[in-house]
Amino acid sequence: MEANQGQTENKRPSLIHGAFSFILPGSGQVIAGQLKRGIGLFFTYIILAGLSIWTVAQRARFPDLTLSAKIFWIVLFECAAVLLFLICVRYLLTRFIIKDVSGQVFTQWGLIIFYAVAIFLVADSLLATAGSTEELRQVYGTTTVFSAAILAGFWFWQIGDAARIGAKGAVPSLAPAIAIACVLIFILGWNITQIDLPKAIAEYKDTQIILRKLIWPWEAAFEFEVISIEATAKVQAPCPAGEAGPPENEPIPGESWVIVTPTCGALTVMDLSGDLTLGTELTISGGGFTPGSEVEIFWENPIGNPFRPRGVGDTIIAIDESGEFITQLNIPQAIVPDTAVGAQIHTVIIREESAVVFTWQLSREMKLALVGMLETIMLGLMATFFGIIFAVPLSFLAARNLMANIVTTLAAITGGLLVMVAGLLLAYIATRQISAQLGGLEDSPILIAIIAFVLVFGLGLLGWRIGSWGLTKMGERAPALLSRLLTALLFGVIGGAVGYAVGIFFSRAIRGIVLPDEIAALTETRYAVFGAILFGALSMVYAYRMNYFGEIRIGMIIYAIVRTIMNIVRAIEPLIWALVGIIWVGPGPFAGTIALTLHTIAALGKLYSESIESIDPGPLEAIQATGGNRLQTIIYAVIPQVLPPFISFTIYRWDINVRLSTVIGLVGGGGIGFILIQWIRQFQYEAAGLAVWLIAITVSILDYVSSEIRARFV
Amino acid sequence: MLQIENLTKIYGDGTQALTDVSFTVEEGEFLVVIGLSGSGKSTLLRCINRLVEPTSGRIIWNGRDITAADQSELREIRREIGMIFQHFNLVKRSSVMTNVLSGRLGYTPPSWSLINRFRKEDKERAIQALKRVGIPDKANNRADELSGGQQQRVGIARALMQEPKMILADEPVASLDPVLAHSILGNLERINQEDKMTVICSLHFLDLVQRYATRVIGLRDGIIVFQGDSEDIRQLSDERFKEIYGEEAERLGA
Repeated sequence: MEANQGQTENKRPSLIHGAFSFILPGSGQVIAGQLKRGIGLFFTYIILAGLSIWTVAQRARFPDLTLSAKIFWIVLFECAAVLLFLICVRYLLTRFIIKDVSGQVFTQWGLIIFYAVAIFLVADSLLATAGSTEELRQVYGTTTVFSAAILAGFWFWQIGDAARIGAKGAVPSLAPAIAIACVLIFILGWNITQIDLPKAIAEYKDTQIILRKLIWPWEAAFEFEVISIEATAKVQAPCPAGEAGPPENEPIPGESWVIVTPTCGALTVMDLSGDLTLGTELTISGGGFTPGSEVEIFWENPIGNPFRPRGVGDTIIAIDESGEFITQLNIPQAIVPDTAVGAQIHTVIIREESAVVFTWQLSREMKLALVGMLETIMLGLMATFFGIIFAVPLSFLAARNLMANIVTTLAAITGGLLVMVAGLLLAYIATRQISAQLGGLEDSPILIAIIAFVLVFGLGLLGWRIGSWGLTKMGERAPALLSRLLTALLFGVIGGAVGYAVGIFFSRAIRGIVLPDEIAALTETRYAVFGAILFGALSMVYAYRMNYFGEIRIGMIIYAIVRTIMNIVRAIEPLIWALVGIIWVGPGPFAGTIALTLHTIAALGKLYSESIESIDPGPLEAIQATGGNRLQTIIYAVIPQVLPPFISFTIYRWDINVRLSTVIGLVGGGGIGFILIQWIRQFQYEAAGLAVWLIAITVSILDYVSSEIRARFV
Repeated sequence: MLQIENLTKIYGDGTQALTDVSFTVEEGEFLVVIGLSGSGKSTLLRCINRLVEPTSGRIIWNGRDITAADQSELREIRREIGMIFQHFNLVKRSSVMTNVLSGRLGYTPPSWSLINRFRKEDKERAIQALKRVGIPDKANNRADELSGGQQQRVGIARALMQEPKMILADEPVASLDPVLAHSILGNLERINQEDKMTVICSLHFLDLVQRYATRVIGLRDGIIVFQGDSEDIRQLSDERFKEIYGEEAERLGA
């Protein structure tokens, strides 16, 4: 700055340009001839201000943008005023005081520190000021003030920038503006993403329980068998009238035993106010347990459900050196069936858990996780498999180098299309008939699918062949004008059909936006007919001008159509396809397979077709020169060249598919993801940890295997 | 045998590769087409078997109009005309045997190709062809394991499999060193003389032209600027030479 002092004295900053930028950010630059810079600064300013106001409103949990904006502008101007004051102070300091002392005090770094301190002071002083800003601090927090102060800095910078450009014509560096904008965006981003470091540190310990289970869940992977020593005694409640309870047990040497006295009594009862009336006190003694261990007392009600008696005495009892114990317990509350009449037999169970034994039995969760994992791998595999089947033929249609030289005549296309449609109709009718004969789609779906495929493919192709052959032959034999007119007429029919469809589409999709569907439907036919006439006439004129032997690059048309469809399918995430699949066939692995297959076809189709496009054209030429036809050219010149990349891409895709299928499971597409999300929602973190581990292990094995295989083919 | 009448080729980008080219080839000739790169030699050869579609003009092959042939007719004509290429155009990852056999595709039903099937006698013929070009022991190697000279021999063997009446050779030795060049052209010459097979070959080097050609056509910017036999080439004056090869060209190698 100080080094430029001489220059600034020679050419004073342009006040006019500065003034313009003061009123409208960027306008001074525009007037000075820096159109892009001015517009850029203007929009940066507007966006930053808008973002600040929005953030402030969000933070206040009071999203009244107008009020927020009003308050923000007030703060902005307050900041600007203080900044201006500070700038004046600096100017006066350098000019009249410090300059005389040492000449050069404010270096570039000094300047930066000066402004940083200034901004901090402004913000801080504003926060400290009473009145409106005090309320602000409470309502809107420090973000408002900081962002306003920084935006004020930006405002001032661009005023100075305009003034300097206006004076010198030279363009100063944009770096300060970019730096200011970045700082502001950082502050706003911090707020918008609600980053809260103190909270993160203070509440970290809460995650530990979950993390421990997630990181090391293997205890849940196996069954643990509990070996226990048990002894039981019968107690009757209430005491049967006029009789004693069941006979007392006797100690049995060499085995565990328990004796309860008396053997009958009253149950603990809770009245309506919640007060307990304790039942008869029992003396429970027993022996034959492991010396020094503990036993637990369970009470089994007449229905046969054991429970821990509560509030009637200790239920965990220490065993002495001789393996015996004695304790007191009141008869607890126990559920008795409504239908029970008279005295009921209860059972006292004394249980010692002598050992917890690890078994090689997999736990239920582990089994579920393993099955889920298998499902996921298979899901990825099937999706890849179907993907290959459809993507390979499609990729040849989407390879420019193979399609570019496929040319046909107008006559061949016209005849082919018309007769092909007839063939397809025939195939449809025949399929329906055969399907009815076979008892419908439910009875023999695979057979009908195969028949339908063969019929559609065969009759369609046959129709195409007959039609194109017929019309071509006619063109060769019949008078030229007649052929020309007939071809134009037929092509017009095709165009008309397309126009009809376009008309309906326009009516439903475009007019449907502004009109209610029923009203749009009323006039649908009008649009369809109009479309048919328009398209029909246009294609007739086109076909007449092309003449029946005119060349049409059908290869490129197919190429464009296939590419477009593949791009659209690929652009839609597999997760979205999974949702479609779930609606289609219900939640489960099949939905996931459909989703992944669709995406795989498009993705592999693109990768395949690109590797076809990059092959060496030489062998193609050579095979063509030997008299090989198109099929032979593909088999002998294209496939050997594309096989390695095809294999490589396929394995890569399989790898991706397995990873994706875990994610697809989360939305209901089956497999381990499906189980994982359920466990997470049920807070079963140990089981979830198992699933996460299995996924991690599978993915890394797959990663390694796929890279090994690919290394062998590339 | 082969008549070329007013052949013109204009590429899609407007490049005029051939202009009104007419000449006749007699059976058993070793016709060499000379000219700088870009003079239209490759285009001319590729127009003959319609790897490149001619813009106008006619090519008559033993009384059949190649330019008017439909796809199946064209395939029949193509299998009578073998072709070898500057960059050999072998499928590098396939075996030598497969490469040679692919020369027989014009005679093989396309459906057989789906399962990579060839006639038994075709396989024997392939071994014979490899013997003829001197590399019978390389049949099971991958094509890219062979040296350049050997690869070009595979190319010749592939062309021989077609049992062609004529061979088109597009700069067959341009990617090879001089010693190999003589060996490859020697092969072609033997085929030309022993089988009375017509050869149309484009070449760069004048000494090779003088050694092997029975007749020479000079092309410059797609126009025939010279016709003569090898004797005429030997006596080519510097002015005529520069007419063919352009002002900046220097005589090399002769």
